[in-house]
Amino acid sequence: MFRRLLIANRGEVAVRVARACRDLGISPVGVASESDLGARWLGCMDDVVCLGPSASRESYLKMERVVQAALQQGCAALHPGWGFLSENPRFAALCEQHGVMFVGPPSSAMEVMGRKAPAKAAMRAAGVPVIPGSVGLLASVDEAVACARETGYPVILKADAGGGGRGMRKCFDEAQLRAAFVQASAEAESAFGSGALYLEKYLEGGRHIEVQVMADRFGACVHLGERECSVQRNHQKLVEESPSPVLDAPTRARIGGIAVRAAQSIGYVGAGTVEFLRADDGAIYFMEMNTRLQVEHGVSELVAGLDLVHLQLRVAANSRLAISQEDVKLSGSAVEVRINAEDPANGFRPSPGTLAAFDFPLDRGPGAIRVDTHMQAGDSVSPHYDSLIAKVIAHAPTRESAIETLLACLRHARVEGVATTLPLHLAVLDSREFRAGTYDTRSIPGWPASAR
Amino acid sequence: MAKVPLFPIGRAREAFLDGASFERNRTALGALDATLAERRAKIAAGWGAEYAERVHKKGKLTARERIELLKDADSRVFEVLAFVNHGRKFGKLESPAAGVVTAYVRVGGRWTMVIANDNTVASGSWWPLSPEKIERAQQMALRLRLPVIYLVDCSGLYLPEQSATFPARTGAGHIFKMNSLLSAAGVPQIAGVFGDCIAGGGYMPIISDRVYMTEQAYMVIAGAALIKGAKSLHLSSLDIGGPEVHVHQSACADVRVPDDETAIAMIRAEIERLPSSGAAYYRHGAQPAAPQQPNHELAGLFPTDHRMTYDADEVLARLVDRSLFWEFCPERGREMVVGVGRVNGLYMGLVANRQGVIDDPEHKGKKKPCGILYKEGIAKLAAFSRACNDDGIPLVWLQDISGFDIGVEAERLGLLGYGSSLIYSNSTNSVPMFTVLLRKASGAGYYALAGLPYEPVVQLSTVLARQSVMEGRTLAIAAYNTKLDDDFEILTQDPKERAEIEAGMRDTEARIEGDMSPYKSAAQMDTDELVSPLELRAWLELFAEASYQSIGYRRIKNPRIWSLHDAAALWEARG
Repeated sequence: MFRRLLIANRGEVAVRVARACRDLGISPVGVASESDLGARWLGCMDDVVCLGPSASRESYLKMERVVQAALQQGCAALHPGWGFLSENPRFAALCEQHGVMFVGPPSSAMEVMGRKAPAKAAMRAAGVPVIPGSVGLLASVDEAVACARETGYPVILKADAGGGGRGMRKCFDEAQLRAAFVQASAEAESAFGSGALYLEKYLEGGRHIEVQVMADRFGACVHLGERECSVQRNHQKLVEESPSPVLDAPTRARIGGIAVRAAQSIGYVGAGTVEFLRADDGAIYFMEMNTRLQVEHGVSELVAGLDLVHLQLRVAANSRLAISQEDVKLSGSAVEVRINAEDPANGFRPSPGTLAAFDFPLDRGPGAIRVDTHMQAGDSVSPHYDSLIAKVIAHAPTRESAIETLLACLRHARVEGVATTLPLHLAVLDSREFRAGTYDTRSIPGWPASAR
Repeated sequence: MAKVPLFPIGRAREAFLDGASFERNRTALGALDATLAERRAKIAAGWGAEYAERVHKKGKLTARERIELLKDADSRVFEVLAFVNHGRKFGKLESPAAGVVTAYVRVGGRWTMVIANDNTVASGSWWPLSPEKIERAQQMALRLRLPVIYLVDCSGLYLPEQSATFPARTGAGHIFKMNSLLSAAGVPQIAGVFGDCIAGGGYMPIISDRVYMTEQAYMVIAGAALIKGAKSLHLSSLDIGGPEVHVHQSACADVRVPDDETAIAMIRAEIERLPSSGAAYYRHGAQPAAPQQPNHELAGLFPTDHRMTYDADEVLARLVDRSLFWEFCPERGREMVVGVGRVNGLYMGLVANRQGVIDDPEHKGKKKPCGILYKEGIAKLAAFSRACNDDGIPLVWLQDISGFDIGVEAERLGLLGYGSSLIYSNSTNSVPMFTVLLRKASGAGYYALAGLPYEPVVQLSTVLARQSVMEGRTLAIAAYNTKLDDDFEILTQDPKERAEIEAGMRDTEARIEGDMSPYKSAAQMDTDELVSPLELRAWLELFAEASYQSIGYRRIKNPRIWSLHDAAALWEARG
């Protein structure tokens, strides 16, 4: 096992990975921008390397410096966390070139899943159901029209290099499509550097269901059940839960099998998440794959009783996966909320500042509470980076008691000094739609559309 | 530490080149590329549709159709020497591609050299330079130990020109010597015989390891027309030398097949029995990966005016995997950028001329122009060439060079000597070397950077290339030297004489410029193929895969023990 590992990230994920390192006897080395240096949470690292100024592109995204830090600190391995360089194939290749083991998938797998068109093509070849639409990129507006005719309106034009909801255009008929094609291509060219477009059937709403997979270097792969992440605001997840209230056991097994097949077909290694869209009629379609550990991984960890970061580190050290699919026993229900330092009363504007109080009671019951955070009372929330300050996850034998547990904790939580999304979470968890499990991506249950 | 320290190179195009210049370069190159495509298409058409029809009517395929069927579906054919005899007339006739197609073709995942007589051009017979072209292709295969596939459909010498093709040291007879050398070196050779193979054509397949004949094929030392009594006995060439004779009686051929398609399928199966490519092993765990900086931007990086500069590092960034590169000895000889990158995961050594100006190491504070070789640059090249040869790293020489430095200081520093050291190394290297003439390829620079006389495995010229002993203007100055002053201005003040000298110098310059045309160069076999800069990456991938495919005949050191590491350790700045 590696003696030292560089954690090429910050905040909550850095603390999470450091904890896993300690469990396995690995010495964690952290990195920090100038504004993060001296942060209290860096105390969990054995050493810290300063990467540069506050702006991420001048520090956390400086590939060569990160690799240099790993080499100077004698780190045999590097964990990229999520965001930053975690899905950058060139960075992964640079690590390998310099003898630093990258904890994550091979760069070729990242590349295939990094853009929509090659990902869809690979999935189609593996027999994974994909949303009907164009095969590859559209060469011309006429090709788009022909494809739309075959797929059936309404359709959605998407930028191949886009993401996070940007560069998309819904079209309800041919005239609209012809007009949209030219515009969408030009916009995509200027925003993402590529005007390439593809087309899909437009499926309104639906449920966002993702499957956690874990694969070793020898081709073995298991899934740890699904997470439902349909409660979103501007394509950002707010609440995640496992299992999904809308899947029955046979469907769960089927979708898990599809996810494993998808991962194996691209030679995936490590922790990954295959995202699906479950349409209103129950049909399941591949959306994309996140080739990294995700923010909401803790939800699956509680339900499966496994530590995903431990597994990542073991796989990276070329160990075989010790568990088979039969060994994975999913029990109970877990629900997570992401506490962001944002002000829901003010258009969710980021709310940096110092935490005067920061307490989430763990003992209000009936189930268990896990809090993943790097913060404590007295710490400042940085204005330079994302606003996630804590994840609070409840785990209980039933979904109802998990929701009750989470509500009890959040109602008695004390967070003072910055505005947070706590009121939003309370409203969602307490709402009729959420309790009934009948929500989807179209709206935030319990939170009026006007308030978003 | 014996790591191969590749680091990111290159920047986004907008950071070093404005949009207007980029577009201007791209448009100008587009015109040159269009001409190239047009001329290629004309060559590919052979003597035209009528002749292709004649071939089809016999139930046969043309040479290029046979190659299409032979190759792996998802691969590209890399034709070499397509422009031999371009623009040359023999009486009223032309010989597109000198009547024979020579190309790197991937079959069953292995690169092969295919030599296919063009049966739409004088029944695949040999013109002046056809033998030299075939021999050059055989030489490429011998150097890389690539299997050779002969698709024979050749009626021998084109007789009216026989004096130029029969007797010479490089004439048709030398083809069979090359066959022999290939066989002696253990290079697999397979022949498909598809039609009239007379005299030289008859000899072509015999030394190959396996010979397939179609029902229409015959091989004869002389055709029925020259055999006494053949007419009265109604004997055709097929009777005398068809598959009945050679497969069953003489054993000069091995297998008999009904048609072209079957022959091709069986040749494919034969190749698939050969050892698989070593390239997978020598990737050392890396996967093929495209350059990070978009390769297609090469279309707009080169100004067509050879006096204008561009950033050579940005060219390299758009050619190597992930735009990762190890620049060897960056502080010295900055007129050259040399180093190691991966192409499809395989290590290659690359050399390129910087353009623009650099600091003069001999005179602090002064600058000097690039595109010229100075002492440190030459020394760096020689050291790099020797190290890559020791280490078995194939070398790619990207030329855009005017020549060596000249003058009092250049001589005193001994550039003649340094240059000769480099020439010696390149001449005695066994590692595969590939040369690309990007733009200028002048004088001693063309020689120093492994130009064709130093026998690289392949030399490519881009459509921007200009090859000559010196630039037209320089040559005119040299020719009219006695009439010019110290600053190369015309001495005489007499207007009539001035006009004469000016016209003379202009004519000289124009003639040299004409001689520099890459098409002329390719027609004469002074370069192996003409390409667009946009094709360079694909060619480098071919060079890499072909260099590492066959193993055991040359050294390939594992990267841990490269000589390059020793050299870098000695040249790196201390602590």
